[in-house]
Amino acid sequence: MIGYVPGRSPLHRAHPYTPLAVAAGLLFLAFAFRSPAAVWAVVVAAAVFAAAGGVLGAVLRPAAVLALPTWALLTVLHGLLGGPPHLALGPLALSAPGVERALVFGGRITAILLAFLTALVTVAPPRLVEAMTARGVPFGRIYLLVSTLTVVPRMRARVRQIIDAQQCRGLRIGGSPLARVRALGPLVVPLVLSALAEVDEQALALDVRGGSAAGRRTALAPPADHAADRLVRWTVLVGVVAVYAWKFAGAGR
Amino acid sequence: MTALVTLERVGFSYPGSARPALRDVSVAIEAGTVTGVTGLVGAGASTLLLVAGGFAPRLTGGALTGARHLATERVGIVFATPWTQLTGLASTVLGEVAFGPASLGRPREAVLAAVERAIGDLGVAHLAERDPTTLSGGELQRVVVASILAMVPDLLVLDDPAAELDPAGADALYALLPSVAARGAAVLVATPDTERLARVADRVLALEDGRLVRSGPPGAVLDDTDVARIARAAGCPAPLPLDVAAAVERVVR
Repeated sequence: MIGYVPGRSPLHRAHPYTPLAVAAGLLFLAFAFRSPAAVWAVVVAAAVFAAAGGVLGAVLRPAAVLALPTWALLTVLHGLLGGPPHLALGPLALSAPGVERALVFGGRITAILLAFLTALVTVAPPRLVEAMTARGVPFGRIYLLVSTLTVVPRMRARVRQIIDAQQCRGLRIGGSPLARVRALGPLVVPLVLSALAEVDEQALALDVRGGSAAGRRTALAPPADHAADRLVRWTVLVGVVAVYAWKFAGAGR
Repeated sequence: MTALVTLERVGFSYPGSARPALRDVSVAIEAGTVTGVTGLVGAGASTLLLVAGGFAPRLTGGALTGARHLATERVGIVFATPWTQLTGLASTVLGEVAFGPASLGRPREAVLAAVERAIGDLGVAHLAERDPTTLSGGELQRVVVASILAMVPDLLVLDDPAAELDPAGADALYALLPSVAARGAAVLVATPDTERLARVADRVLALEDGRLVRSGPPGAVLDDTDVARIARAAGCPAPLPLDVAAAVERVVR
């Protein structure tokens, strides 16, 4: 499940902007460094961030599933097809500079996935809505962000319903790879059509509920923004700016 | 009485459809009244609601002919499918119902008072802390109606609002409509449930193939309820009783 997971960790209790700021900071840091060791230090920091939220186990699997294809591609592109000198690894001859590049690019992808999946599972969408409403963010932007954060769980639930319905009507989703590909049609077509059919009514419902109202929305229960939250966010900002200043000053590698 | 909506020789066609969904409809919907709309499937009842509420063609696309005058912007609409009318941005029924008035920027206390009244009227106060996505269809429909009532609309449009409700829930919902009208709102409800409609409507509009073919008090327009059919078969003189209560009253008299 890639969606909010309830909890009582410091990240769950923090102002919603704080985990998002830390995730964004880790993203900037991942791109600030060019050495594998530094990039992988950011990966470790992202893992610590997930552990602080008590969600390391919950985010490792989806992060691995999403990162593995990239890792495989990077290994082929840079490791096998890269230039000399080559390192012997059993029957394989891997390009040393290619492996270094693959470690950097793969590390960046892994750090970003860990950081943002952690933010995704620790920030409750309704609290984020309240926090953004309290800051006067227009509803259109709030909806765009929050509906993006919640789209995966919603689509998974819908897919589950369609699979159940189609299996009741005799669809088999197991078997050979060809049979599995054939089963995709009866699953994907209703998924897309039902999503499109609902869009009109939902747009109308949101419009009626003041979604397109011009004035500022009222925040009913905005989450507290403690001094510790602000300190963390300022520290992230200052840290990122300092690292980039150091990088552009020519010291970063 | 003040006409909130005036349609003069209005026609409407959906995008890509050569056949008009409404033809030459002239009607005025007045504040403080409950107006029912009935007709066979495809007669144009739902389209009349969308046009009268100002939603078509603004949100649906299509072409409107004739003249429409809508004297208010405070229009609420409820569809038969409650799950498409959730905002997806609230984790409690309270937050869901509060979404509309909060979007209008009303003060926090006014929002909470409106929410309390609406969930009380719809009998869903005990669900206030529940996650809307975990409710049954009937509970959800009552929450959706409460969400609209909390916005205190001048024009309340309902499209088969009791489709998801059990008989007691449907009775309670229809019984609420005259009190909404008594607060000064115009209520426009489309439904095939002519018996319940007969109990609460001040006026009924009957549509056939997109045309308004009859308009007047329920007793003058509706003659196809189960009770009316039985009364007709029993040789009862016009006006026919339309529901059990009216039949009992006539027998007692």
